[in-house]
Amino acid sequence: MTFLQPILLATLAACGLTTVLAGLLLVAERYLVRYGTCRIDVNAGGRVLEVEGGQSLLASLMGQSIFIPSACGGRGTCAYCKLKVLEGGGPVAPTELPLLTEQEVADNVRISCQVKVRNDVRIEVPEPLLSVREYRGVVERIRDLTHDIKELRIRLVEPREIDFTAGQYVQLEAPAYGDNPEPVYRAYSMSSVPSEKAAIELILRLVPGGICTTWVFTILKEGDEVTFNGPYGGFRLSDTGSGMVWIAGGSGMAPFWSMVRHMKQQGLARPCRYFFGAVKQRDLFLVDELRQLEKELDWFTFTPALSGPTDGDEWPGERGRITEVVAKHVADGSELEAYLCGSPGMIDAAAAVLRGKGITEERTYFDKFG
Amino acid sequence: MKQTPEERRVLERMAPGVLCREGFLGEDPRPLQEILDTDGARVEALGATHEEIARHLREAYEDAAMGFGNEVPVAGGRLRAVWHEAMGFIPSPWGDGARFPKGEVELTDPRTARALRYTPLSVHMIARYGFYQGRGSRYRVEPDQVVAFFGLDRRGE
Repeated sequence: MTFLQPILLATLAACGLTTVLAGLLLVAERYLVRYGTCRIDVNAGGRVLEVEGGQSLLASLMGQSIFIPSACGGRGTCAYCKLKVLEGGGPVAPTELPLLTEQEVADNVRISCQVKVRNDVRIEVPEPLLSVREYRGVVERIRDLTHDIKELRIRLVEPREIDFTAGQYVQLEAPAYGDNPEPVYRAYSMSSVPSEKAAIELILRLVPGGICTTWVFTILKEGDEVTFNGPYGGFRLSDTGSGMVWIAGGSGMAPFWSMVRHMKQQGLARPCRYFFGAVKQRDLFLVDELRQLEKELDWFTFTPALSGPTDGDEWPGERGRITEVVAKHVADGSELEAYLCGSPGMIDAAAAVLRGKGITEERTYFDKFG
Repeated sequence: MKQTPEERRVLERMAPGVLCREGFLGEDPRPLQEILDTDGARVEALGATHEEIARHLREAYEDAAMGFGNEVPVAGGRLRAVWHEAMGFIPSPWGDGARFPKGEVELTDPRTARALRYTPLSVHMIARYGFYQGRGSRYRVEPDQVVAFFGLDRRGE
């Protein structure tokens, strides 16, 4: 064994030395290396930003008020912050590869939170994202809609107004609290009407173990200041004028609650049948308000349906899974458009039923939670 | 034992507050590799495999998801399951690019009244890494329990 000792010692020494050198390099990069001012060319000269090098591309853009969707706070896991980096992004990092398809790599798509700005870069940002802003607001009201769904009303402070389209969403920031060391952002559709620019309303369902909803349900209170950015998303009414089928469950109510009131305000009389699925009566909300709209608007019908067992749940309305109820009420969908918001399973099942009714994929719009 | 940079990144993502409020390791003080080795050895001793456990859990999840919040029979009617949907997707802490709907499956064995909770992400991590999460984690799946639930114990064969 003694002849092995020098080899073992040499190996250990080499490993130790390598570790120390790697550590020194990391420290040096963090504290000593100065990349100086770097230029970020956005959309072929559309905007040219000057930033201090060394930060991630995502953080550099946020620092210049360009907000790219990101749910994981820049940890390289959610893959929402994809952008085209045409020049200067360096090689694709190992942390990016699992999040990119081969085609995306070929198209210069990068995970912007994993790209460090070390020199001048050229990037492409989808135009709608350039109008996204960060907002500060104050919680004006928190209302229980069901046992596990709340409505959050936020009065804007800075900027004082927001422009959005019914169906779009914002990213609400949950600050560091408890065991959560850093702020995170989570996406929620706005349920308020676009004409009300000085405040927004969100509908949130408690997610077991969820960072943001737990914060809203247990810590956030009226009068607290909150931060969000937006608006985002392409889930919105088409301009075709075709008749529509809307299908939602749970907090998927939010965009439709915004859309129907927006249509009423704007006099957009488009035939619309809204199906809302829940398990029990205690899971239903805004039913009285929607029934009232049904009376006022001859183009709008609202059909809530319960899929749970009947025991002790007096319910004169529709019963069955929402897909069954839709199948029963929609005869010919060949001239209709469909709008769906809810869990991926519900959307997939409902979309399959709608196909059978003649509503093509091209005329089906959906917002799969998240 | 030294961690590779990749292992360190995985552990960082598994910490509380990173991808979910409680993280994936619960109060388990053991190193990740020890958790994997211990659970792997236990599954093997029971005569089961990670892949078949994951397959049964996945099938139960898919059946439960079609119940839209209602309890449905799964595993040939021997078990009951309900899918509690939630908004959003959660990425795998292993950095493999996989994302899964949030929400949880509540699986019950009516004969014993025992229940276990898991997520679509749990199924992925069991199938791909043999990771059943740390002790005390909200979605820790005990190998003995899940093997008993689906009748996969082959020690007597």
